[in-house]
Amino acid sequence: MIMRQGQQLLLPANPLFVWGSMVGALLLNMTLNIGILGRAAWAPDLLAVALVFWTVHQPLRVSIGAAFVFGLLMDVHQGALLGQHALAYTVLSFFAITIHRRLLWFPVMAQTAQVLPLFLAAHTVGLSLRMVSGGTFPGFSLFLAPLLEAALWPLVTLVLLAPQRRAPDPDANRPL
Amino acid sequence: MPLGTLDRAPPPFFRQGPSALSKLAVFSALALFLMVADVRFQIIQPLRVALGVVLYPAQWLAMQPARLAGATGDYFISLSTAQTDKEAAYKRLGLQSLKANQVDQLLLENQRLRKLLELRSRVQSSGIAAQVIYDAADPFTRKVVVDKGALQQVKVGSPVLDEAGVIGQVTRVYPLVSEVTLITDSDHAMPVLNTRTGARGVAFGDGGGHADALELRYMASNADVAVGDQLTTSGVDGVYPPGLPVARVEKVDRRVDAVFARIYCVPLALVSGASHVLILDPITPLIPPRPAADGAADGKADSKKEARP
Repeated sequence: MIMRQGQQLLLPANPLFVWGSMVGALLLNMTLNIGILGRAAWAPDLLAVALVFWTVHQPLRVSIGAAFVFGLLMDVHQGALLGQHALAYTVLSFFAITIHRRLLWFPVMAQTAQVLPLFLAAHTVGLSLRMVSGGTFPGFSLFLAPLLEAALWPLVTLVLLAPQRRAPDPDANRPL
Repeated sequence: MPLGTLDRAPPPFFRQGPSALSKLAVFSALALFLMVADVRFQIIQPLRVALGVVLYPAQWLAMQPARLAGATGDYFISLSTAQTDKEAAYKRLGLQSLKANQVDQLLLENQRLRKLLELRSRVQSSGIAAQVIYDAADPFTRKVVVDKGALQQVKVGSPVLDEAGVIGQVTRVYPLVSEVTLITDSDHAMPVLNTRTGARGVAFGDGGGHADALELRYMASNADVAVGDQLTTSGVDGVYPPGLPVARVEKVDRRVDAVFARIYCVPLALVSGASHVLILDPITPLIPPRPAADGAADGKADSKKEARP
């Protein structure tokens, strides 16, 4: 296995954790919407971040089909045009697949800069679809969302890779 | 190092499935088809309802933190606030009961006068009380979700009010919840009546930017509209019962070079902050059928949108 210098060997990913974290991101998105942010245009889409993360790290498990289905669920929750998020996530997932071999060769901060255009593209797809179908322009704060999503990338890497970074042979000194 | 600590499964060399590009093409085409079907035809609603039912437990779970926070906040509201609220409520009740007592008499009088003039009697419709549970997250529209759905006999097209006036119209019904398009949504139009002059007009939602307001369009630039005029539903659309308060004129902008005046109104109801609302049954089945149109082109205009007059 060819790896970046200094990169840690990871445990295999647990499929339950992969899918659980995606559903968790969907739930978190809904909680943010219902309880706190309402229909704020700048709210970061956590599901999109989780989706890109797992598409990059586990491209054999999470791919474009999963992105499409999660997109449909987001559309139904938001009451948006049915297919808007599905198309945005499909595009997002496709770009994530295309960069997944290159991206992991960079340190996490450099990865952040490289995933920003992906999120920007996804939001632009959503915006242009709604402008074509006659929606109201929600203001330029919409373009804050991809920035926030990219800024979440290091945190998401830390949290979602934590189970794979555990010790392979736990003992008294390394209980986890 | 024990076995099973590394991902030892070799990547599939021969059975890689369809390529990413072909998957992108297939799923994009599917998404585009769904969008066109959603906007142009009404065939996608069953799929949406099915997904909504699957999603409902997750939504319910996501609602709990907000509900819990709200309940905790309510618990710590001081006694004095509750007492002032009660006082204000009693005062309002006193004022309203006077009006309500007169209304019975007026209704009777109205009925007799209408019979005398051989006018059709006013339609009455019944309502369902509901609670707004959250704002729909879509930033491109102005919609809220209420906690009553098809199981409680909510119908598409029903007008929704709060205690001060109209807040919107039910546009999608799921089994347990329904979506209400607010009157400030830019796709929403409703026929209104200026109570001072009796002139009818059409109020459009003006959700652009951060202004949650309405715009009274297609009024001539010399029309008699003044700041402070009250607008009520005129009832000519067959959706909203007549006489419900809608908005107050906030600003009238008359330009010499424009045919129409720009008239901005603020909604009287607490449109974006309402929590308890009343869903009325649509009055459409109660009013007599439209006379048959001569041209074939009229049938198309009817099916466009129910909120349009």
